Amino acid sequence: MDTSKPAVFVNAELLPMYVGRKVRAVVQVLQSDGVAIKGKSTDDRSLIIKGSLPPFPLSNFVEVIGIVDTNNSIQAEIVTDFGEKFDASTYNRLCQLANGEYKSLFL
Amino acid sequence: MADSITPNAISTIIQNPSPDSSSEAPQIVVQVVDLKPVGNRFTFNASDGKMKLKATLPSNMSSEINLGDLQNLGLIRILDYTLNVLPKTQEKCLIVTKCEVVTTALKIEIGNDVKEEAGIVLKPKNEVGIILKPKQEVVAKSANEILHEQHGNTAPAARMAMTRRVNPLVSLNPYQGNWTIKVRVTNKGTLRSYKNARGEGHVFNVELTDEDGTQIQATMFKEAAEKFYNKFEMGKVYYISRGLLKVANKQFKTVQNDYEMTLNENSEVEEVKGEVTSIPEAKFTFVPIDQLGPYVNGRELVDVIGVVQSVSQSLSIRRKSNNDTIPKRDITIADESKKTVVVSLWNDLATGVGQELLDIADSFPVVAIKSLKVGDFQGVSLSALSRSIVLVNPELPESKKLSSWYNSEGRGASMDSVGSGVISASPKNGLRSMYSDRVSLSHITSNPSLGENKPEYFSVKACVSYIKPDQAMWYRACKQCNKKVTEAIGSGYWCEGCQKNDEECSLRYIMVMKVSDPTGETWLSVFNEQAEKIIGCTADELDKMKQDGDGSSYQLKLKEATWVTHLFRVTVKQNEYMSEKRQRIAVGAQSSIDFVAESRFLLEEISKL
Repeated sequence: MDTSKPAVFVNAELLPMYVGRKVRAVVQVLQSDGVAIKGKSTDDRSLIIKGSLPPFPLSNFVEVIGIVDTNNSIQAEIVTDFGEKFDASTYNRLCQLANGEYKSLFL
Repeated sequence: MADSITPNAISTIIQNPSPDSSSEAPQIVVQVVDLKPVGNRFTFNASDGKMKLKATLPSNMSSEINLGDLQNLGLIRILDYTLNVLPKTQEKCLIVTKCEVVTTALKIEIGNDVKEEAGIVLKPKNEVGIILKPKQEVVAKSANEILHEQHGNTAPAARMAMTRRVNPLVSLNPYQGNWTIKVRVTNKGTLRSYKNARGEGHVFNVELTDEDGTQIQATMFKEAAEKFYNKFEMGKVYYISRGLLKVANKQFKTVQNDYEMTLNENSEVEEVKGEVTSIPEAKFTFVPIDQLGPYVNGRELVDVIGVVQSVSQSLSIRRKSNNDTIPKRDITIADESKKTVVVSLWNDLATGVGQELLDIADSFPVVAIKSLKVGDFQGVSLSALSRSIVLVNPELPESKKLSSWYNSEGRGASMDSVGSGVISASPKNGLRSMYSDRVSLSHITSNPSLGENKPEYFSVKACVSYIKPDQAMWYRACKQCNKKVTEAIGSGYWCEGCQKNDEECSLRYIMVMKVSDPTGETWLSVFNEQAEKIIGCTADELDKMKQDGDGSSYQLKLKEATWVTHLFRVTVKQNEYMSEKRQRIAVGAQSSIDFVAESRFLLEEISKL
C-alpha cells in the first residue's frame, strides 16, 4: 500500500491516471450490497467501490479513500458518509483544479 | 349637371399631372371625402365615385372649412392643381391650388353603386347665406360618418347623448391631430419656474388617466402653464383637444406611455360636468414586497399595497441643502409574500394621512401607495415623493384580499424584512449582494482615504474574532420609534421624538466587534438587527444573562459567537474624531455562509486569476 503520498482528489475521468495510487473520490450511492458499492461519480459516470463495507443509504453521498484498482474501480480503505446534501458540481471542479493548474498545491 | 361630380375626374387628373393654364384645366368637380386638418391646412381624398386620390387643399380654403362652407362629403370644383408623386411611397398626391365650393356637403359618399339621380341629395345650404350652425354640430356631423364607418351602426340614442366624440388615450399619436380625450387629472405637479438659454417661464405637468386606465403625462409651458394651472384640478375630469404629442423622453418618464403630451395656448381644456364615474380614480400596478429587489436604486417608481403593521411617530428631519426641517413618518407594511418593508412618508403625507394611519394602526388597515421611490436603506426601503398618492383601506379587490389574508394567517405570522440578508445572483439589478464588490479586509484598512467624500460599499467574508465583554453594547430605546430615550425625572423614560414618557424601554444593540480574515483584522460597528443574528439573542436577553449570577452564561454566549464566519455588507465612511480622520466601517447587512453559493463564487474568482 502506497501511503507516502496524499490521496488525490479524483472523479471518474481522472481515475485511470492513478491506477495503483491512493485516491479519494465522492460518489453517490446507486447500489450497495455487502460486497461492493456501485456509485455515480461527480462527473456522472459509474464507479465500483470494492471491499466488505456496511450498507450505505441509497442516494447518499460517500467519500471513498483507497487504492485505484482498475480504470473504474477503487479498493476502499475508508468510506465516510457525507449525507444527502452535497454539491457534486463544485467537487468536480475541485478535482479538475487539483489535478490541473493547481496540482502543486495538492501533491 | 354642373353641380355633380365630373365622371372619371381622377383618371383625368392623373393623365394630366400639370395643366399649363386655367384655360386647359377641365374644371373638374370632385367630392371631398376623409377631410381632416393637418396643422392649419386640410387634407382629403378626392373622389369621383370610382377612384380616390390623396389630396390637399390650399390654405385659403381653410377658413371656408372652418366656417362650415365646405364640409366632408362636399363638392369642389378644381380650378388649378398639380399632381405630385410622394418620394417615399411613390403615391400620387393632388395639390389643389385653386378651387371653389360647389356643394357644402352631400349626405353620402358617392360610390359606384349609386345612381346619379337617386344618390345625390343636395342640402339647401350651398350659398353664402348659410346659417352658421354652432361648430359643435359641424364636428358631430362628419364625426357621425366616421363613426359609422368605424363602429357600424351606433344606436341613435347613444348618438344623441354623445355631444363629443372621444378618443381613447391609447389611440393618440403624433401624426393625427384631430382628437378629443376625456380624462381625469390623477396627479398635478407644482408650478415651477425655469430659466434657460431661450428665456424663462413657468412649467407644470399633470398626469391624465382615461376610461381604459391608460395614462399620459401632459406638460404646459409659459402662457399655457399660466392659463391651465388653475383650470386643472386634481381628481376632476376634462375634455382636452389640440394637444401636441411626441415620443416620451425615457429619462423623465413617470407613466407607462410611449408618448407624452404638450398643451399650448391653442389647446382646449373643458371641465366635464356629470358623467365622470367611468374614469377610474387612480390606476395602480402593485409590486409584491418580496419582488421589490430589482427596483432598488432604479428610476422606476413602484406602487405597493400592504397591511400596516406599525406607524412611527412623526420625526423631524433636517434637510442638508437648506436646513429646512421636514416632518417624516415611517410605516411598516406587510403583504402576502410574508415580507415587510418600511415606507417613509414626508411633509403633508407624514402629517396628514400618516397621522390618520397612526390613529387607526390597531385595526391593521390596508394602505395602497402609488409612485414610491425604491432605495437601499436596510436592503430595500420605500420613500414617498410629492406625487405619491396614499389610499387608506381602498375599494380595490387587492385590498379585500389582503385584509382576509391578514386576518387568517398574516396576523400571527413572523415576517422578515425584505431587505435583510439579501443575496441575489446578479449585481446588475442594483441590489447589492454579498457577492458583489467583494474585498478583503486589508483592501479597506490599507486605504485610509476610502469613504472620504461619500460612503463606499463592499461585501466581506470575515470571522468574528473578539467581542469585548465590557463595552457598552446597547442603548435604551423608545419602544415605538427606536430612538434613544433618557431617564425621566421620577420613573420611566422620556422619548424626545415621541414627546412622551414610557415606563419601559427596550435595549437595542450598538456595539463594535473585531473581525478577521486571511488578510488582516479590523473593528466593525454593528447595529441591532445584525448583532441579534451574530450573538443569537436580543439585547434585552443578553442583558439579563449579564445580570444573572456570575454572568458566566453571558460570557459563554459571547464566546459562542466568536470564531464564526459571516458575510457582511459594509459601509466605509470617514469620521472626524478629535480633529483626526478615522475610518469607520459599519455593518449594513449580514448573512451566514451558504457553502454552495460561496464555493461557486470562489470558483468564479479562481477562473479569473
